[in-house]
Amino acid sequence: MSDAPQLVVAVDRVRCIGSGLCARTAPADLVLSPDGRAAPARPATEGSAELTEAAEMCPVEAITVRDAATGELIAPAW
Amino acid sequence: MTTDATTGSADPQPLVPLHCLLRGEAGPPRQAVLPTGTPVWVLTRHADVRQALAHPALGRASLYAPDAPPTVLTPNILDDPSSILNSDGPGHQAIRRTVQRAFTPRAIERWRPWVAGVVRELVDGLVASGSPAEVVESLTKPLPVRVISRLMELEGLDTDRLGYWSDHALSTTAYSAEEIAAAIREFGEFGHQLVLERRKNPGEDLVSSLVRAADQTGEMTEAQITSLTIGLVIAGHETTMTSFGNALVYLLDPRRAEHPGAAAGAWRRIGEDPAAAVAATEQILRTVPLGDRTNAPGQLRRATADVEIGGVVIPAGAVVAADTTAANADPEVYPPGPLDLFAPLGTPSLTFGAGPHHCLGAWLARMELELGLHHLARALPGLRLATPVDRIEWRTGLLTRSPLRLEVAW
Repeated sequence: MSDAPQLVVAVDRVRCIGSGLCARTAPADLVLSPDGRAAPARPATEGSAELTEAAEMCPVEAITVRDAATGELIAPAW
Repeated sequence: MTTDATTGSADPQPLVPLHCLLRGEAGPPRQAVLPTGTPVWVLTRHADVRQALAHPALGRASLYAPDAPPTVLTPNILDDPSSILNSDGPGHQAIRRTVQRAFTPRAIERWRPWVAGVVRELVDGLVASGSPAEVVESLTKPLPVRVISRLMELEGLDTDRLGYWSDHALSTTAYSAEEIAAAIREFGEFGHQLVLERRKNPGEDLVSSLVRAADQTGEMTEAQITSLTIGLVIAGHETTMTSFGNALVYLLDPRRAEHPGAAAGAWRRIGEDPAAAVAATEQILRTVPLGDRTNAPGQLRRATADVEIGGVVIPAGAVVAADTTAANADPEVYPPGPLDLFAPLGTPSLTFGAGPHHCLGAWLARMELELGLHHLARALPGLRLATPVDRIEWRTGLLTRSPLRLEVAW
């Protein structure tokens, strides 16, 4: 087990417009489903610069990255 | 028939306002033919359109491949192979990443107080000029031009020159191929000079940041950087002006309402309640199209592999038109019948597209329209059209159609 906080990625599938930017930016954490909407690639993650970038770059802000323990919003940051 | 960007009134038959255009009914994929004679699969259901626009095997670059069938009679700026619009996959994302951060909802929200200030200033000027007044030159055109000029630091831009460039750049039948090519060439020279200048003396503006980002990664050609720059100038004002003008025709059309006084009541509510302006903006964007779409029955894509959509296998090489206007009225997604202007959408409309090419400026356009409608209705709750709808002069022969002039009174 690593000391890094466990993070949970969520995608608002109603908002998602399937730009695919996230899946290309952070392929370890986000994938594009066959229906053209993004989805988390795994239940929890340690996070990465790429994941933060993916959440910050989403054209419709459909992605959130939260601390699994506290629920604190890690990305996107204002 | 004369079709010219400046002489819409020469049409013998009055053109119907955009909100009265007949739209295709949502249904299974059907085959049609483009004005060039090229067969096309037309998609009209919300789910099919959305799937097509997000599908990696339905691209834009393939429309311009050497083996591609002709899809436009007279090419304009949207047919530039260097454009972000006509690139796909990693190359497209490399371009989009240079500007995406400036257009997220959070980034756009930071501009709200400033945009509201510009709107109030323009509305105050309109009110001070007295009734009747012309609203295109005084509000719907200058608002988006002021906003994109500020974002790109284009202060001092010659707006007549800009009008000449954008009318030609988005022409379908208004100008000859030679006239269009000459205008786009000149516009491109303006864009390239801007790129060179901002590379040398960078500032905090959008052009400087996109040039810096592109130069850092080295993933964009100079032609792509220039194309993106002038594309932002055009996209930043033309569509918002069109949408704002057509929204006013819709909202102020006295024949629109189901019962007398309903239209006036809705207009007042937009001025009284900012949340009502937000909801109405979304419904107007969903239901009032930007143009007549005589050039194509939807957003074009070309299959690079066999693709199954809506129960039909679209073969590799075939052209697809995603009809977002029909999809935005799909009864499976949006309740049919009279429009409730203030009802939340539930499912996002496809007005700004979907997939990799989802409109970069969607949030900026929404904000300009919402603030423009709210502040105008707040200042002038008794606003009405001073010209009958069937005598409106339209800008025609372009991809978009909007009033050339719109006389209002209060």
